[in-house]
Amino acid sequence: MNLYKYASPTNFYPLAGKIIPWFATPAAILFGVGLFVGFFIAPPDYQQGDAYRIMFIHVPAAWLGMFLYILMAIYAGIGWAFNARLASMMASSISITGAMFTFLSLVTGAFWGKPTWGTWWVWDARMTSTLILLFLYIGFISLQSSIDDPRRADRAGAVLALVGVINVPIIYFSVQWWNTLHQGATIRILQKPTIHGSMLWAMLIMLAACWLYSVAVVLIRVRCIIVEREQNANRFVEATV
Amino acid sequence: MNWPDLSMGGYGFYVWGSYLFALLAIVWELVTLSYRRKSREQEKAAPEVLRGTTNETTS
Amino acid sequence: MLRWIVWRDLILAWRRRADALSTLFFFVIVVSLFPLGIGPETELLRSIAPGVVWVAALLASMLSLGRLFANDYQDGTLEQLLMTPQPLYLVVFGKVAAQWLTSELPLICIAPLLGVQFGLSNQTLRVLIVTLILGTPVLSLIGSVGAALTLGLRSSSVLISILVLPLYIPVLIFGAGAVEASIIGLSPVSHLYLLSALTVLALIFAPWATAAALRISVE
Repeated sequence: MNLYKYASPTNFYPLAGKIIPWFATPAAILFGVGLFVGFFIAPPDYQQGDAYRIMFIHVPAAWLGMFLYILMAIYAGIGWAFNARLASMMASSISITGAMFTFLSLVTGAFWGKPTWGTWWVWDARMTSTLILLFLYIGFISLQSSIDDPRRADRAGAVLALVGVINVPIIYFSVQWWNTLHQGATIRILQKPTIHGSMLWAMLIMLAACWLYSVAVVLIRVRCIIVEREQNANRFVEATV
Repeated sequence: MNWPDLSMGGYGFYVWGSYLFALLAIVWELVTLSYRRKSREQEKAAPEVLRGTTNETTS
Repeated sequence: MLRWIVWRDLILAWRRRADALSTLFFFVIVVSLFPLGIGPETELLRSIAPGVVWVAALLASMLSLGRLFANDYQDGTLEQLLMTPQPLYLVVFGKVAAQWLTSELPLICIAPLLGVQFGLSNQTLRVLIVTLILGTPVLSLIGSVGAALTLGLRSSSVLISILVLPLYIPVLIFGAGAVEASIIGLSPVSHLYLLSALTVLALIFAPWATAAALRISVE
């Protein structure tokens, strides 16, 4: 079976349409299962009581924010290196979902911080790095939306994404450094809850649910992007009529 | 299975607030996507006159 | 070729001295705004001085970046430069070097005066100058990537800021951190080493990324 034909947006469009339900439905199911396990089966934490249950959405959101950035950079790089339009379209599609998850992890992190640390925002290494990651996403999205020519937008985004992804470890390290230097007398009150089996399961199920959701949403969005960009190409019009 | 304490030990605002926010984020994403699809359907049906003919192969 | 590019850009900048000077004045004004906003208490000012001076340097760099390629792009010189047989890496390096000389070097010269305004000791002022000498090339280099990516776009100056300021954060952390370490009496050497590492990395890789971005933007 010749898989390379799916590198063409025209051919990928119907394939994506068929795949989406296979990710969307399991995502919805796993969300339900994860929340059930997280709320009905996992016991309250010894230190944080029930407040720790925010973790079941905060941690998956944070991980996905980071994972999607790397994935976006990979797709953008492939699109640039091999001049593959579809890969660049995937990168553009992922960027929005990744930014959404990063923003969600910041907000849920703040909601988790208020009852446990006492303030809505703390400039600790993880929250600060997540904020900077959000800035990187916003930069990518802004750049692509300011460029009218789609091919230039793809390639410029690729350069930015690759520069960004190389900088992410540097930024993370420097923020860690900055944070440990300024720790001073502040004591970290928040400790990760001692992971009970059911808590871990709930978190992993929610992580899988978020991941499946991301795939579905990214594919839906890439179909929109394909139509927007290919709508004038005759073979696309014929294929999708 | 134990029925959860709905007030989350007093932290209800924070826990339910976060999940509500997550729900809003997901709904926002799906709504903007469906809006995008709808406007693209409209485009296909009645392309803007300003842009000329519908089947130009040069973009 | 390299020398020619630097010399050419220096001459062009000299003809438009106002641009470089306005960047310098912006730097001075921004730094002076902070005591006005926060209060004249010496201890407080001394503790915020490293951050304030460094953030102002970042912002001033942002302003000067818009000019890096825009003028050449508008009159067609940039396309000619892209077509020369010399590696584009050198052309970019030359332009960034000239930009550093015209925009960042004045900042470095005036920073000690601003440091005195904030009550920094001589030792700390020396550290401040060293961090600026090590760090401002990185600002120019990373900024050139942003300038190349946003060439010719609407509202490119704001866009450059959004793209490049997150990438500046490590430089800010180590640069301001070194000065702070000096203020509280610790050795700034570890910060300076890390800052130098960033400088070396930027010197090697940034012109390459900028060259790639230029080719993308000018096509």
